[in-house]
Amino acid sequence: MTNDSLLERCRETLAAATTSGAEHAEVVGATVHRMTATVSKHDLQITQSQRETNLGVRVFDGNRLGFACTNRPENAAAICADAVAIAAASPADEHNVLAAAGDLPPVADLFDPAAEAFSTKDVVRQAIRMIEVATAFDPRVILGDAEFVAEVTERAIATSAGVAASERGSLFTYFALATARDGEKVSNFDFQFGAARSVAQVDVEPITRRVSENALGSLGAEPGVTFNGTVLLSPNAALSVLVSLIGFHASGMNVFRGMSRWGDQVGKPVACEQLTVVDDGTLPGGVGSSSFDREGVAHQRVALIDKGRLTSLLHNTYSAHALGATSTGHASGSPRSLPDVAFTNLEILPGDRSRDELISEIDRGLLVTRFSGNTNPVTGDFSGVAKGAFLIENGKLARPVAGTLIAGNAFEALQRLSGLSKEREQVYNFNLPFVRLESVSVTAA
Amino acid sequence: MLELLTSVAQGADSWAEVRYHARRRKQIRVRNGRLEESSSTERAGVGVRVLVDGVFGFASTTDLSREGILRSLRDAQQAARAAASSKKHRIEKLASIPPTAGAFGFDVDDPLDAHTLEEKLELVQRIERRIAASDPRIVSSSASYGELVDEKVIATSDGVAVHLFQSRPEFRTIATAGENGMQSLGMDSVGVCGGWSDMFCKRTAEQLADHAAKMAVDKLAAPFPEGEEATVILDPELVGILAHEAIGHTVEADLVLGGAITQGKIGQTVASPLVTLCDSGHSERLPHAVGTSPVDDEGVPAQRTVVIERGVLRSYLHDRETAAHLGVEPTGNARAWEYSDQPLIRMRNTYIEQGDTPLAEMIAGVDHGYYLKGLGMSGQADSNAEFMFGVGEAWRIDGGKRGEFLREVTISGNAFDVLKSVDAVGNDFDWEYSAGYCGKGQPAKVDCGGPHVRCRITIGGRQQ
Repeated sequence: MTNDSLLERCRETLAAATTSGAEHAEVVGATVHRMTATVSKHDLQITQSQRETNLGVRVFDGNRLGFACTNRPENAAAICADAVAIAAASPADEHNVLAAAGDLPPVADLFDPAAEAFSTKDVVRQAIRMIEVATAFDPRVILGDAEFVAEVTERAIATSAGVAASERGSLFTYFALATARDGEKVSNFDFQFGAARSVAQVDVEPITRRVSENALGSLGAEPGVTFNGTVLLSPNAALSVLVSLIGFHASGMNVFRGMSRWGDQVGKPVACEQLTVVDDGTLPGGVGSSSFDREGVAHQRVALIDKGRLTSLLHNTYSAHALGATSTGHASGSPRSLPDVAFTNLEILPGDRSRDELISEIDRGLLVTRFSGNTNPVTGDFSGVAKGAFLIENGKLARPVAGTLIAGNAFEALQRLSGLSKEREQVYNFNLPFVRLESVSVTAA
Repeated sequence: MLELLTSVAQGADSWAEVRYHARRRKQIRVRNGRLEESSSTERAGVGVRVLVDGVFGFASTTDLSREGILRSLRDAQQAARAAASSKKHRIEKLASIPPTAGAFGFDVDDPLDAHTLEEKLELVQRIERRIAASDPRIVSSSASYGELVDEKVIATSDGVAVHLFQSRPEFRTIATAGENGMQSLGMDSVGVCGGWSDMFCKRTAEQLADHAAKMAVDKLAAPFPEGEEATVILDPELVGILAHEAIGHTVEADLVLGGAITQGKIGQTVASPLVTLCDSGHSERLPHAVGTSPVDDEGVPAQRTVVIERGVLRSYLHDRETAAHLGVEPTGNARAWEYSDQPLIRMRNTYIEQGDTPLAEMIAGVDHGYYLKGLGMSGQADSNAEFMFGVGEAWRIDGGKRGEFLREVTISGNAFDVLKSVDAVGNDFDWEYSAGYCGKGQPAKVDCGGPHVRCRITIGGRQQ
């Protein structure tokens, strides 16, 4: 299905929704051609190919909302009738409104025409490259699972408020999960992600080297020590411990739901001055970029936290309407889901010292490569196992440690953050530095 | 459809497995008095898997015509050939299975379609209001209902011709309590394989709501535990979670071949002799466990697989490929989430068998320890059996009696070390009846359970 024909399909479905009795409606379509090569234990496992088109219909009967979706576009009329029936059975909600039509400036570098010529053979070639890099790194590294995915996508939206847009995209994503084994000793696993929008940017080597290095590093880990003090989180661990919490509390939907602590904190400090967090869905070539969000609103660059001060919330049309704000273009989701609110491309601005300089200032602490646990989004309490962890003593990495739990509160951690590295790593759509925290509870097994 | 798929599979010039899967999903979610979602999702298509030159290829389509399915067959064969020259270890054969044919799972009492959208919405709204009204300290309340109704037709070139129906409703309740700047979360849920009334076979929707609200309120004033290794009693849900997350994944044969800790340990003692651990496609002992799957997505009839028998590792969990590789029978664990997913080795209903110690006797035998109930925020485990779970509810045990209620307790350790430390296994049994999903690249509906179990475990607390 070509770009224009997908938009045309959305327009036809919009007409069908009106015929079914919808007062207002929105039809979102997405087509994907996806090729995947999967690796298991240093060997190709399976190669797959998938083509699919999804259509999602939201109908508005006054302020009553109904939603239905299908992966069989020939059933579009039937799902319109389903959505109308759901709306009729639902209570009205004054904030159920369609997004207004506005300018949708195109975002650059989201589609590489060369991606269309990418074949299953090319996908296999990239998967083999990951095996070669891991094998050459060290014979003790086991590339347990790896995957290379090439996607060519088309998105379109048509609404009775006059939104009509479509866009093509290409995306290459890859991940590697590795352990290291030396006799009876088995390391913790580590995993790393990579992504690119163009064929020329695809490079599986850095993530494969990093996953191998991390798996190997945790081999032979011994029990650690118990203390309350400094912890240095890798970008991956910072994503689990801190960034998910920021996303939860900055979401206008969660403010409206009464679940966010930050509803009345805009303009006030929520973190220490070193922290600046930016989300930008208009980043050229960004993994999370597009020219319009799930509701057909243009993305924008939002400075979420500026030098520790909360400067904005993230909104879709519902939360903006409910809170008397304007959508920031953060409606997330696909034709298979109702709009929610989510980050697009998020970055924490880097600090001015290197990771090693941050370590050199720690008398006793813990470097955490991966966090296997959870942060309670409501309370901010986090607790879990530090994986790929190293004890830091007298400013140096002393030895790998296993079975060590870390616990604390992420709200307090944002206030007590004592350093950000100048190096950053791209973890899918997040660009993050190493983050140093104080007063974290560390418990050895 | 069965006739069409059988003719495509048997006409293929390679081994072929052709699987039609139509899914209808409905979701209703009410939070803080507002309907956040009422939706209907339809997904249908055919996934074709082939084995060409010792390599699997897979392709999927939503075009259900003979031509569309044949095109997918060719795409799958092309994908396999693209990898053939680079594959190191060719799949020499798949484990042979007796030709499985017939219809499975169509005998659902009180089908979900017999209940109207209005009735389902009214229940969700009423339960959400009940949570909100239960205590002035409840600041946020949510109730949701979901249903998955699946119809599958599976045909292979070596004789499988199966028609399968599955109905799996689930209900969730979440409460947030707040007081003096503190907030806490309580939740309870149920998911079953069965019809509408089966969903509430263990507890009513009202009981789920009351439990979630009480959990949230009670946690407000509860202290954190100190971190320590301690004697604990795990309830049937946590025993099941441990069996699934920390042991079960390490015995999935694909992960075993990938280097999991259980590699080469068949016949070795890996747990206390009190421990017998199984994974079954049937709902053993009590009906409606949500992982029930009478036939898997390769057409292998469900088995009850004894993984650990009185402390000794006896079996891994297999699909037809790993069973042939290791020279054993397939165990019926190949499962695919949607039509566009290839079957992977997944658990079904994983549990520890009943013992003979009454719970009261177990508690009375603990001088200092903890009683731990249900899963909290989430659980994770490594292929070396190291795990970390958030606990739903926790109490101290002092002097043989259950005492103070605690908040935000996590447990961790190495699951095999924990199983070796088991010194009492309860004479009771329950399933979790899980509303959750197991993730392994694809989601899967799984269940877990067992009796109460007493063991040693590391409690995550706070160091001052």
